Amino acid sequence: MTQYKSKHGYEGLLIVIEGTDGSGKSTQIERLKRWIEDQSYGVMVSEWKTSKFIADAINDAKDRNLLNATTFSLLYAADFADRLEQVIIPALKAGFVVILDRYIYTAYARDVVRGHNIEWLKNLYDYAPEPDMVFYLDVPVEILLKRIIGTTGLDYWESGRDIGLSSDFYKSFQIYQGKCLDEYQKMIKEYGFISIDGTLSEKEIHKKIISKVKDILEV
Amino acid sequence: MKYKSRLNQPHNLPGVLICVEGIDGSGKSTQLAILRDWLKSRKQDVIFTEWNSSDLISQTTKLAKKKNLLSPRTFSLLHAVDFADRLEQIIIPALKAGFIVLADRYVYTAFARDVARGVDRDWVRKVYGFAVKPDLTLYFRVSEDVSLERICSNRSPKFYEAGMDLKISNDPYESYKIFQKRVNDEYKKMIQEYDLVEIDANESIHKKQVFFREEVQKILTKKGIIL
Repeated sequence: MTQYKSKHGYEGLLIVIEGTDGSGKSTQIERLKRWIEDQSYGVMVSEWKTSKFIADAINDAKDRNLLNATTFSLLYAADFADRLEQVIIPALKAGFVVILDRYIYTAYARDVVRGHNIEWLKNLYDYAPEPDMVFYLDVPVEILLKRIIGTTGLDYWESGRDIGLSSDFYKSFQIYQGKCLDEYQKMIKEYGFISIDGTLSEKEIHKKIISKVKDILEV
Repeated sequence: MKYKSRLNQPHNLPGVLICVEGIDGSGKSTQLAILRDWLKSRKQDVIFTEWNSSDLISQTTKLAKKKNLLSPRTFSLLHAVDFADRLEQIIIPALKAGFIVLADRYVYTAFARDVARGVDRDWVRKVYGFAVKPDLTLYFRVSEDVSLERICSNRSPKFYEAGMDLKISNDPYESYKIFQKRVNDEYKKMIQEYDLVEIDANESIHKKQVFFREEVQKILTKKGIIL
């Protein structure tokens, strides 16, 4: 088997799972991580908004409802820059398989919906390494709504209530997530996402993911 | 859809935005304070804002600085957060309400310092593309040596102002001069690019204020404000 050459030039691999809240990302990441570990690779998972310093500032600002569209966008960018430099790139250099729960596409989707220009956003994240594979878990908004209401409940920011789409919480979520899904749809082709029907069973989704990951791992 | 930076277009708001720039020890804050008192005594609505002072993030940035934890790019973004917060909360509402807004440092501080730290020149300019274009920006030109004398007459240079994070030199005084020279060089490049009005910071306080007021008068007259 010919050795796969990573798209970013580091020794490790960068695999991204994208999708909105409730799309089943965490479950799939857990399964994928275990599977790759079983193939004798070092695996590291890193989630969106988990940098040491800045994540707390974001959560605090969100709790106090202090953010506007620009500070929202820039704070997440700062969080990402920090995590990229301190966590992701060192792991890639060390030859790890890095699985990322959300990537710059999450920022693109959310920030465009909040009114930012995509060219401005692309510049903001232009130093981000290109992932070797991006999986997108595609789930229609009605099913997302059921999953979210049945588990965590409707969150203020995940419902886009900061941008005043509707005073009806259910409707606000529906409109906001619908707009985010539209942005993801636009990105599928541009960034070569592997789109997977997120309404399939956990097991079926997992099988589809590993059948693709096998292309870039020596197993 | 091509992105057009606001920083290169006049703002068309009723207020006036006046900024001062320059390395530490250039006397710009003193000049701005004197100008503020004068404008207030002339019954103008004046509001003042300074770099890295927003409620939202300045504490986080200060804490991170203390621990020397963040990369130049992350710092750059945190300062952008701080600026964006003040822009939306303070600067733009005040300009809409017709205030004279006095800013002690503006985006050019980021362009100078971040680039001196190795951040890409074009990248940081685009990041701040949402900023309102000032009506007048004064650049207080002072040499690194004079700056060091004034700032560090009774204390040694601080870690970040000396650019010690860049590991240029182990001697904070030496490092300060090298780093602040880089910052000054970036400012000098911006004089043309952004129409900064240069002022010799070695002049007396009085002379500088006379010059500053002349420049301010020109702008206010254009806006139809008679003092």
